[in-house]
Amino acid sequence: MSRDPARRAVITGMGAITPIGNDAETFWANLTAGVSGAGPITAYDPTGEEVRIAAEVKGFDPVTWMDFKQARRMARFSQLAVAAAAQAIAQSGLQITDANRDDIAVVLNTGGGGIGDVALGERVFLEHGGKRVSPFMVPMLSPSMAACQISIQNGLRGPVITSVAACASGVQAFVEAQRLIEHGDADVVITGGTESAILPVAFAALANMGALSKRNDDPTHASRPFDANRDGFVFGEGAAVMVVEAAEHAERRGAAILAEVAGGALTSDAFHISAPDPTGSGAMRAMQRGLKDAGVEPEAVDYVVAHGTGTPLNDATETLAIRSAFGAHADRLAVSSNKSMIGHTLGAAGAMSALAAVCSIRDGVVPPTINYETPDPACDLDYVPNVAARRQVNVAIINGFGFGGQNAVAVFRRYA
Amino acid sequence: MSGRRVAVTGLGVVSPVGIGAEASWDALVNGRSGVADITLFDASDYEIHIAGEVKGFDATQYMDGKDARRHDRNTHLAVAATGEALRHAGLLNADGALDAGQADPDRFGMVVGTAIGGIGMIADGVQTLLERGPNRISPFLLPHMIPDAASGMVAIQYGIRGPNMAVVSACATGGHAIGEAMESIVRGQADLMLGAGTEAVIVPLALAGFGQMKALGSPIDPDTGEYNPQGASRPFDATRNGFVVSEGCAVLVLEELGHALARGVTPIAEVIGYGSSADAFHMAAPAVRGEGNQRAMRAALERAGIGPERVDYINAHGTSTPLNDRYESMAISDVFGEHASRLAISSTKGMTGHMMGAAGAFEGFVCARVAQSGLIPPTINYRHPDPELTLDYVPNAARQTDARVTLSNSMGLGGHNSSIIMRRYEE
Repeated sequence: MSRDPARRAVITGMGAITPIGNDAETFWANLTAGVSGAGPITAYDPTGEEVRIAAEVKGFDPVTWMDFKQARRMARFSQLAVAAAAQAIAQSGLQITDANRDDIAVVLNTGGGGIGDVALGERVFLEHGGKRVSPFMVPMLSPSMAACQISIQNGLRGPVITSVAACASGVQAFVEAQRLIEHGDADVVITGGTESAILPVAFAALANMGALSKRNDDPTHASRPFDANRDGFVFGEGAAVMVVEAAEHAERRGAAILAEVAGGALTSDAFHISAPDPTGSGAMRAMQRGLKDAGVEPEAVDYVVAHGTGTPLNDATETLAIRSAFGAHADRLAVSSNKSMIGHTLGAAGAMSALAAVCSIRDGVVPPTINYETPDPACDLDYVPNVAARRQVNVAIINGFGFGGQNAVAVFRRYA
Repeated sequence: MSGRRVAVTGLGVVSPVGIGAEASWDALVNGRSGVADITLFDASDYEIHIAGEVKGFDATQYMDGKDARRHDRNTHLAVAATGEALRHAGLLNADGALDAGQADPDRFGMVVGTAIGGIGMIADGVQTLLERGPNRISPFLLPHMIPDAASGMVAIQYGIRGPNMAVVSACATGGHAIGEAMESIVRGQADLMLGAGTEAVIVPLALAGFGQMKALGSPIDPDTGEYNPQGASRPFDATRNGFVVSEGCAVLVLEELGHALARGVTPIAEVIGYGSSADAFHMAAPAVRGEGNQRAMRAALERAGIGPERVDYINAHGTSTPLNDRYESMAISDVFGEHASRLAISSTKGMTGHMMGAAGAFEGFVCARVAQSGLIPPTINYRHPDPELTLDYVPNAARQTDARVTLSNSMGLGGHNSSIIMRRYEE
């Protein structure tokens, strides 16, 4: 498919609040240095619980990014997103004025939204009754409120969209942003993902699913995607946001272009509410269709930012899907999982992968999969074990696969 | 823009005014309210304890008993309404699965939106955690409470394998779902898409939250002082004082026109316009004069390539809150100018209450039926004209017209706006 060159979607700004750094450059430096952001849970006292580790955001002070009163009426998932968006907009140099605010959209996705405020509200409700529930609870918990708050804080009046596809949400955001740009629905899209659900009910549910690593005594080695001894993911939190804009718009204002979002695709397994289709066919179709949509041959891909959660099933299935989608070229790909360092940030995960893809294209470095010690015969690709690799990256794809069988792939390309 | 046109070829509804599209439509055109005292839990302690509940709904009629037990009610409603819509569109085989002879499952996707998903399930989970400890939390909690659980389950139940997402934009969700589904077909990502909204928020915590926002309409009759739940939702009436929370699901099968005609299906209507905007104003209050709503309507008209004078009917967001109905009326006046007084405008929320994330999809169903038939459901409970609101709200009785072009407005908390335009299908 050939695209109108003027309407190609390019990236001009990045922001991040993550378990390994509260801005995009710190995140990237730690990601390429193989630094783990996992540790004991501090958000609440997990003593006696089955899982007591997480990849938390550290040292985040919302009032750095917004005034105290606004912060108090914003759920943490919204605060993280507003902060990351402020960084991305600042880097892009975009001036928001009455002349352009109607043409700036927000696509900000999440998995669970304000689940923490639901839990808090329910606790108040049970202990003190309905009259003590906050009148701000409903608007605060709304999953689209992170997108709305970015719109409100920055005066952005174009389409404001939140779509949820569990752990594929963050990837979907970039697919949607590219389409809004291509079809002229917006000139600029502030896009990404956010998640903050480090709370007892979420951990209990994930632990009871058997989804989480139980290496409580060794948190930095708990997330081990593609390693034979992987035992589940480490739950993380954070937000990553980028400024995506039409190439002509970016060039006209002289913005530095970091990379291009060339296209993407969404598919559905239609298989099971929490398990991936073991043949990986839904994931494979997403990669094939994403590349076709972007007009990129499979052989042109250098780097696959894997979904790579560190669960036994995902990593084997994803490996199979990559092999099916790329054939012989699969052995020439670099495939790494940043979840080895930042854990699984659910709805933000795809957006963090997008940061990794863009920075790898910019710097010619592929971040590693850390904690890779014992090869698994079911996982036989080049996972860039433990140490970053110098490699020219012209095309990187990001994978996101969610509960319910939603698959999303976005394709990033060097802009030329 | 490509020449791909988008037809509505199937409708499925589970609503406070009926289970099934025909039952719901019959109630609407006869002005029957679906609002009553809450029965889903004991709400007698709440100051306002009325709602628009879906009545007599048994999930096990639509899905496997085990699946039904594990899933949230919003997913049950979506699976049920989708079954009706697919059957209506002639897309199901004898086993109740997608008929591959009618549609390629890989070219068939969905946008099933919800404002909040399984909030009741999270609240129950927290209660379990506090009272019985973490080991008693269901391992199914997270995959079943997330807002895209319904879209995932609908895909699984019927074997629909194309693009799949759950749009979330508070009370504008249903409009965005139809619009995004339409765009997916126009852009060539799919040949068929479900545009749907589902919601099941009649749970203690949510009712408490809405009550604390002072947003709920009172069931006390403003004239007689009598208790009358069916009169609580009074869009555009001078005495309106809040919305009635309700639930339900509506599903529209959207199909590329050539695909539908090749199957020998006569479209119910065509979706021709979609506009989306943000107020960028306030997390809970609408922008003055419905400024964001105006931009969404203008964008939808532009997308449809028609002038405002071509629109015959508007299904208003019309929540029955003082501010919404006033600003929406102003927005319509500003966008449509002189033509505003010639428009028929009604809010079916007088009968259904506010179905939240499902509202825009339900009202999309209404707009499809109005475009098809010209028959316009009324705004019920309209007894006291508001001197400031001077448009034609089709008060209290349905009206047979020759309406052919219909517009649906939806607005959501946080400043989301969506507008959808449909047109009678003519060869």
